Amino acid sequence: MVEYRIDRRSGVATYVQIVQQTKQALRLGLLVPGDKLPTAREVVEATAINPNTVLKAYRELEREGLVEARRGLGTFVRKSLGATPVDSPLRAELDAWAGRAREAGLEREDVAALFTSVLDEHFTNDHGKGDEE
Amino acid sequence: MTGTAMEAAALGRRFGRNGEWALRDCTFRLPAGSVCAIVGPNGAGKSTLLAHAAGLLRPTEGTLTVLGTTPAEARERFAYVAQDKPLYPQLSIAETLRLGSELNPGRWDRAVAERIVADGDLDPHTRVRTLSGGQRTRVALALAFGKRPELLLLDEPMADLDPLARHQLMGALMAEAAEHGTTVVMSSHVIAELEDACDHLLLIGDGHVRLAGPLDALLAAHVLVTGQDGGLDPHTVVESRTTGRQLTALIRPDGPLDDEWQTTEPTLEELVLAHLRSPGAPVLTLTGEDEDWPETWGAAV
Amino acid sequence: MTAMTTAPAEAPTLRRSLRPRGLVWTMLCLHRAALLFWALLAAVAAGTLLWAWGPGTKGVWTEYRTMRCAFPGENLSCDYTGDAYMALDLATSLGGGIITIVPFLVAAWASGALIARELETGTAELAWTQSVSPTRWLAAKLAVPAALLASGTALLMLLHRLMWPSDRELLRWLSRQWYDDVAFRGNGPVAVAYALLGLAVGVLVGLLVRRSLPALGISLVCLLAVHFALGMLRPYLWPSVTLTKTDQYSISGGMPVDDGAITPLGNRVPNPCGGEGPDCLTQHHIVGFYFDYHPSSHFWPLQLVETGIVLSLAALAVLASFRLLNRHLGDAA
Repeated sequence: MVEYRIDRRSGVATYVQIVQQTKQALRLGLLVPGDKLPTAREVVEATAINPNTVLKAYRELEREGLVEARRGLGTFVRKSLGATPVDSPLRAELDAWAGRAREAGLEREDVAALFTSVLDEHFTNDHGKGDEE
Repeated sequence: MTGTAMEAAALGRRFGRNGEWALRDCTFRLPAGSVCAIVGPNGAGKSTLLAHAAGLLRPTEGTLTVLGTTPAEARERFAYVAQDKPLYPQLSIAETLRLGSELNPGRWDRAVAERIVADGDLDPHTRVRTLSGGQRTRVALALAFGKRPELLLLDEPMADLDPLARHQLMGALMAEAAEHGTTVVMSSHVIAELEDACDHLLLIGDGHVRLAGPLDALLAAHVLVTGQDGGLDPHTVVESRTTGRQLTALIRPDGPLDDEWQTTEPTLEELVLAHLRSPGAPVLTLTGEDEDWPETWGAAV
Repeated sequence: MTAMTTAPAEAPTLRRSLRPRGLVWTMLCLHRAALLFWALLAAVAAGTLLWAWGPGTKGVWTEYRTMRCAFPGENLSCDYTGDAYMALDLATSLGGGIITIVPFLVAAWASGALIARELETGTAELAWTQSVSPTRWLAAKLAVPAALLASGTALLMLLHRLMWPSDRELLRWLSRQWYDDVAFRGNGPVAVAYALLGLAVGVLVGLLVRRSLPALGISLVCLLAVHFALGMLRPYLWPSVTLTKTDQYSISGGMPVDDGAITPLGNRVPNPCGGEGPDCLTQHHIVGFYFDYHPSSHFWPLQLVETGIVLSLAALAVLASFRLLNRHLGDAA
């Protein structure tokens, strides 16, 4: 189960924050196919945001084929994003690489810049649709 | 589900034969299922409007329909919490809830009402007269929720609450709206507490509707521009300020903007403040007809 | 077997159906203190009247006999009052006094606590936005107290009649008359009518004034005015009986309406002579005297006419209250 954290100061629209946090949970394997998303009622009771915002986010996720609404039952995860669960070998490699970068004396920002530039090189036209705005 | 929760047509109210108009020419439509904020400065007419919706005042002119009928006909289907949260001081909390069940036969949801009280760690045997302002608000909201209304009319509901209780009760309010599709109309002069919760806005200034419509659409219809002082025709300028050679303005664009302007979408607060500072800005009323608004809650509930 | 299974189920159903619900429950719950006060007051009055009827009257008769008051001139101490006399006098005054004062207490309570305070604090609007129309709310505000008041004062009125001495001699000795203000109000249906008028006037003033303290004062003044006016008008509410005679010494035994002298032409003039002798009469050409009064047989006609007037006033006040609420709220009422 995922718990949403709404950051009022981020400047990112609330429904986008829900979409992003859901995708993050999917990437990290915190949510796997078959899992149930919290109901709109549960989300708004904890966050005091408008229920339509939650529904808008869920519709967006549904449009992208990530989740499906089953009438009367809830919203369920259909497929996961990427193949990078928390404990995958790729994550271990990245973890080791970050360790080496730190030992080499790189600051956090240096590492992030380096990582982003490599990302941009490899994923030029493959930007996640819902992550914009 | 896509009916109209509230609709005003040229609604006007004057107190006394020759008194001031508290409301004038108010025309708007609020779809069922929305959460609407009535915003405006103190004395703008927010409470007067809500009292009309609750059937407690008779319009001097024009009409106001609630849930498709007159407020009197709809009495059983809406709940109203007045600004000063009136409750009978001599009753205990438990007796107050009993009163709710006795006066709303066939509708009363005891579990909902009792849960709201219990969430505030209130002993049901406490007399209402000994409650603090925030605790009174909680009991008043419990009474309103217990009625299982289709429309909740709340006049400054959160004014007396501490931040924790405010968050918790706003959460409970939104949960109610999510689960039952309850339309919520609440007034406030604290804009920050409404920004995340509301999807519709009704801005009232000086007894007149200044802005009305879906929040997204209203925000999207406005642009905050900064740039070299220059012409902003043909756009509608709500407010503009010049500092040195730099001009900052809130406008309603009519056609594409020149590239030299730096643009951002305004926040709710910027939108509201700009309109309140410029009483002469033209009224903007948007309807959400073209949107897929609001769909049935379906499985997500 | 069937009887055994249904019998226990029926008892709670009956109790549940008798349990007050809705607005009636609300009224009883909100005004518990007033209800308790009314029950206590009625109990005190009823107890006093019952005592006066039983031991009180018996004691006075004993005193009357031991003092040999039946033989005037024999015992001059009968002109003074004994302990039993004093006790009975106090009890009847208290019982009758409570009946007389109830309408005022009711008006004060109805205008303040029942109506104006609810308008003042906004709890009326709380009630009107439950599933209860303001019209039904007002109807309950009138009907529930009216039922309790009418039944209570009717009981006190019957006890007052029971206590009221049927013996003329005792009445004479106690120097009480059927037309004394307190006795007249306590002995007939006007008692109930005035209590209901107090409620109706209180409710109307409460709705008009909308503030507890001023409403309380104004309703008391209004009720006092009606009370006083009808007390003055009472002798004229039914045609009186006229007695004419040649000597001017007045008669007793009825409610006096008017008296005076008669001229040779038959005109009625104020008695110019007072207690002076025949010379004065001749000098003023007075040929006789008249005396208009109500014999005790007029008790019931007078009671019924006054009851009718008071109830009509109460009905008018109720009508005005509903119209006032309607004007304020329009079709929402």
